[in-house]
Amino acid sequence: MTIRRRPPPSLLDRRRFLSRTADGLGCIALASLLSTSSGVRANDAEIDDTNPYAPRPPHFVPRAKNVIVVQCSGALSHVDTFDFKPDLIRHDGKPIPGNEKLVSFQGENGNLRRPLWKFRPRGECAKQVSDLVPRIGELADELCFIHSLTTRTNTHGPAENVISTGFAFDGFPSMGAWFTYALGSENRDLPAFVAIEDPRGMPQSGPNNWANGFLPAAFQGTPFSSTKPIRFLARPDRVTSANDVAVRDALAFLNDRHQERFAGDQQLRARVASYELAARMQVSVPEAAGVDREPEHVQRLYGADSANRTKASFARNCILARRLVERGVRFVQLFNGAYASGGRINWDGHSRLQEQYDVHGEVLDQPVAGLLADLRQRGLLESTLVVFCTEFGRMPMFQAGTYGRDHNPFGFTAWLAGAGVRAPYTFGATDAFGFKAEKDVITVHDLHATILHLLGIDHENLTFYHNGIERRLTDVHGRVLTEILV
Amino acid sequence: MNTSATLKLLLLTLALSASHPARGDETRDDEARGDAQWWSLRPPSRPDLPPDHHWCEGEIDRFVLARLREGGLEPSDRADARTLIRRLWLVLLGVPPSPEEVESFVANSAPDRWARLVDRALDDPRYGERWAQHWLDVIRWAETAGFETNNPREKAWPYRDWVIRSLNADKPYDRFVREQIAGDTVGEDAALGFLVAGPANLEGQIGEDEASIRQARQDELDEVIGTVGQAVLGLTLQCARCHDHKFDPISQRDYYAMQSVFAGLRYGHRRLRGAEDDAWIAKAPDVARRAESLGARLESMRVKHGLRGPLADVQEETFDPTSTGRVRMKIRATASGGSASLFELQVWTAKRGGESRNVALASSGGSATASSFALENQTRHPDNLVDGELDSTGTGWPWKAAKAGPAWVEVTLREPAVIDRIVWYGGGGMPVDYEIETRSPSGGWKRVAHTRDRLPRGDDGRAADRVSLEGVRATDVAEIVRVNKELAAARAEHARLSAGPQVFGATFASPDPVWLLERGDPMRRLERVASDVPASLGSLGLELDAGEARRRVALARHLTRRDHPLTARVVVNRIWQHHFGGGLVLTPSDFGRMGARPSHPLLLDWLAVELVDRGWSLKALHRTILRSATFRQSSRPRTEAIDVDADCRLLWRFAPRRVEAEVIRDSILAASGTLNPDRFGPGFDFFRQKGGLSDYHPHETFDERGRRRMIYATKIRMQAVDIFSAFDCPDAGRMTARRSRSVTPLQALSLLNSPFANRHARLFAGRVEREEEGLDRRVARAVRIAFGRSPDAGEAARLSKLAMEHGLEAVCRVLLNASEFVYVP
Repeated sequence: MTIRRRPPPSLLDRRRFLSRTADGLGCIALASLLSTSSGVRANDAEIDDTNPYAPRPPHFVPRAKNVIVVQCSGALSHVDTFDFKPDLIRHDGKPIPGNEKLVSFQGENGNLRRPLWKFRPRGECAKQVSDLVPRIGELADELCFIHSLTTRTNTHGPAENVISTGFAFDGFPSMGAWFTYALGSENRDLPAFVAIEDPRGMPQSGPNNWANGFLPAAFQGTPFSSTKPIRFLARPDRVTSANDVAVRDALAFLNDRHQERFAGDQQLRARVASYELAARMQVSVPEAAGVDREPEHVQRLYGADSANRTKASFARNCILARRLVERGVRFVQLFNGAYASGGRINWDGHSRLQEQYDVHGEVLDQPVAGLLADLRQRGLLESTLVVFCTEFGRMPMFQAGTYGRDHNPFGFTAWLAGAGVRAPYTFGATDAFGFKAEKDVITVHDLHATILHLLGIDHENLTFYHNGIERRLTDVHGRVLTEILV
Repeated sequence: MNTSATLKLLLLTLALSASHPARGDETRDDEARGDAQWWSLRPPSRPDLPPDHHWCEGEIDRFVLARLREGGLEPSDRADARTLIRRLWLVLLGVPPSPEEVESFVANSAPDRWARLVDRALDDPRYGERWAQHWLDVIRWAETAGFETNNPREKAWPYRDWVIRSLNADKPYDRFVREQIAGDTVGEDAALGFLVAGPANLEGQIGEDEASIRQARQDELDEVIGTVGQAVLGLTLQCARCHDHKFDPISQRDYYAMQSVFAGLRYGHRRLRGAEDDAWIAKAPDVARRAESLGARLESMRVKHGLRGPLADVQEETFDPTSTGRVRMKIRATASGGSASLFELQVWTAKRGGESRNVALASSGGSATASSFALENQTRHPDNLVDGELDSTGTGWPWKAAKAGPAWVEVTLREPAVIDRIVWYGGGGMPVDYEIETRSPSGGWKRVAHTRDRLPRGDDGRAADRVSLEGVRATDVAEIVRVNKELAAARAEHARLSAGPQVFGATFASPDPVWLLERGDPMRRLERVASDVPASLGSLGLELDAGEARRRVALARHLTRRDHPLTARVVVNRIWQHHFGGGLVLTPSDFGRMGARPSHPLLLDWLAVELVDRGWSLKALHRTILRSATFRQSSRPRTEAIDVDADCRLLWRFAPRRVEAEVIRDSILAASGTLNPDRFGPGFDFFRQKGGLSDYHPHETFDERGRRRMIYATKIRMQAVDIFSAFDCPDAGRMTARRSRSVTPLQALSLLNSPFANRHARLFAGRVEREEEGLDRRVARAVRIAFGRSPDAGEAARLSKLAMEHGLEAVCRVLLNASEFVYVP
């Protein structure tokens, strides 16, 4: 582990200094004497305030260019979906040996409870996946399962913070923000990092999932979805197009004159540029969000034609994710499930798990399977990493006096697919009942380190100074899971 | 770059290296950790003044000029009057000056006009509103708890008002700090909002297991240590939670010694003593007398109708010994009208010389059934009635009926027993009308207890016609219900008045013991630790069991010692930062080794000593800075200076900068003439709710209250505010000692297209049309309001054309988006 120390801020803006330097050699020596500017930097490249999205080189050749994170809010039960435990069926209704009196997040637990959906072998690899997610199951040959994930809190909000930011506390930069800070953006007309909310509402930690934290605001995720467009993208209804154009021209006129008086001030130049980018976004965002323009067979593939409105909306969000990646948005966070609601609109099945999951599974399965299939058929899976995750798992027991399962941070499942990932493959395992990870136990930091690695970023060398610490996505932890890479 | 520029650069570099022999990474590694000789840990001393010069107005300028010359640079000329008043207003008050204020200052030719203007601005109450925000940023103050529930913290706002009032009254900074740490000892209750400014998980959101409970407590106190450590000391004490600080002389023991100072602290509400409290105290006896007479009236009616007293939260029903194997309780109504709910139902055997036993317990073979049970996140099953857990402490949960209305519960005993007592424990849905029956061994149910001979409970919400009492006429029942409700209201009012006005702040109990924790793990306690400050700063000399308040008072005294190496330096640096855009130390909450070195170490020390010598007066400090030639420099860029010091760390000009989110909103309201100057009190809302996690629906329009300055907005933690969060308005997640000033397309979209910006462009145009006649004059007036200057010929022509074609509103929309509108000149 190394922590990169921040050299003391010098008086110089190295970027400007070098760009203005005619007599190269002497000045480079001088510049190194002075170390870097007070500005921020990623990967030894400095962030240009006037163009924070300028593409920056990764640390090494990446396997994946784009990431789509499918994040299930509320803690999806691994024992009812992807982590098959025959012993759980055999011990149905019996106490869990050695933990008969287990007190977990909400109190006492009852007896072991068999998976509520039947597991069947899927794909060539015959991976056991339950009937709750049959279409995702059909794609098992494309998937790399991690069954030994653990996290360090059993509370939704903090755990969602961990999966999105690496820290249980509020206020740390999200993975997408780190990613954008590291690599910038390849497209000039769209946000670099988009967070797509579930049609039913915000995830439990809300905007903290895509916040920039202490990184510059330029790196925050832009939230929009098929049901919730970017705010203030369109000109006001009462302003005509001619009026709008005239206003922008006059504004450019005033700003140019103002900038002339402050020649050399980068921020002012950036401000003028930001109005130009905004104008381009007004055209390019609606184009990218034009899910309706997709042909009917594509809509059907995702289930966007479903009579179930929630499912159709989520399917449209999945199509949106693909369209964004196609257009050079490199990080897309796609949420399935919303805020705390007694499991009504997310995966928090404490009391009526079967009844609620039947509803949620229908919404999740076909659209995510459609997304994977569509990415594959377009060749995008070769450059795109898909991460399917949730904040923690659920207990193999039912809670005392309920028909649901309590929070389980001791062992749960995520899967990866696409660029650079070994598939079909299963990494790690929980114990006989799915209670605790016991083989190749890993943490969320390890998952983050691996994702960054696939993107060509060394997680130990992506740092940002904040309040006395060179911060990292992986704190002081993290191991790249080389076992799951091709 | 030409040779002379290169030379200057070299000079600059050498100058810096000379004054900071230990700048490089390599040399820093050589400095032993635990070295109390680190610059910021040595008390500041008054440095010798550098030579004077005709450019200088005061001491600050002599330090700045000396530093510039070391770097081969010259300062800039004085900015013009128009620029200066706008700069002063935006920096000190957070709103632009009115055109009239500008013209009157420009026309003033008195030699002391600047000094007078500075004094006037410092006396302006808008100063406190502007600068309180800086402090609230640092301590990430918000009016919600954070995390997944993000519940509102009612009555947190008095702390915000306390900060504004303290700044406007020029409360000495040492007192300002002391009151925030130990305000309870001097009657300053609102000040204690400081310690609990950070996020904290609510009790119900913490796991039931011991590890989760201890972890949550550690996290809670960690936020307090972070607040005090960073805000006042400028040290990252939190880094030493799991191991000794890697860079600064702060051991893990130091961390837990600081934790011990706050070991009695709880997040909660406390009585806000003061004038309002006195008034409530004075009013309470009248209400008490009223409650007393209503009580007497009710009691006489009870006696007259032969009724028993009301039901309690835990009610015992006794009856003649009866032999039974089954007991049931038929509930007809609850106090609130909601679903019936009980924690426990006990069935006690008659003594008959032996022990009375609760035979309902599951452990005694009893079992419970019910008409229904609610499916909530936690169990509400009737099993809870016989599990022996009487309330929600531990792992106890109540039975709760699935829906409102009649419900029943029944307990079956392992074998018939002779019983004479039933005790039930209320679980929220308090039964107010019920019968209890036992099943006789020969069959048939027998009523053994009922409620229709009792006075209704004080919280019984049933309308009179839903209440029936055996042998009492309906009109008398109605009278009983009416008096009962009045009595309940009077008692509630008396309780409210007796508790006094409340403020969200730290409350204090007897301190928990504090242990050094192995690697910060709350389950791995090592030895106990007494309250203290980090050893490199001295010692409080407190024993292990020192009283709670003594710990905090000792800390407060330590922090405000005249010779404290950090307190004064940290605050003068914060003040400097908000005047010039960057501090003398660029890491305002980290004066440790990982922080930046001061660009002007002598000036920093001079300012710190000056502050203390002038009785810690922040306004005196502002005055010194604002009167300096350094502050009054032109902001124009100079190529030769930009080449070597683009970031303006040596202060060769006044560097222009974008104003903060709050200033943008306040300035828009000021331009449209709709800014409501009302001060203090509960905040206005950006959203339709004040807390919680579910989707926040932003208000699109604001009434009069919502047109107050943005510091009066209810601050929701971790929630982006429409338009303004894009301008780096922090969300109170982490402490923000210095805001970033990013430039993004979302900012442009917000100012161009949001309903708020457009509505105010319209109001702005309407205001100008009322104030001025004729198109050209109106355009000129709008520019003067927005920029504090008249348009030049080119601008006037361009904007008049726009007004002619698309109306004055279009011009106002342009002005609110212009760079000049949102920059400190």
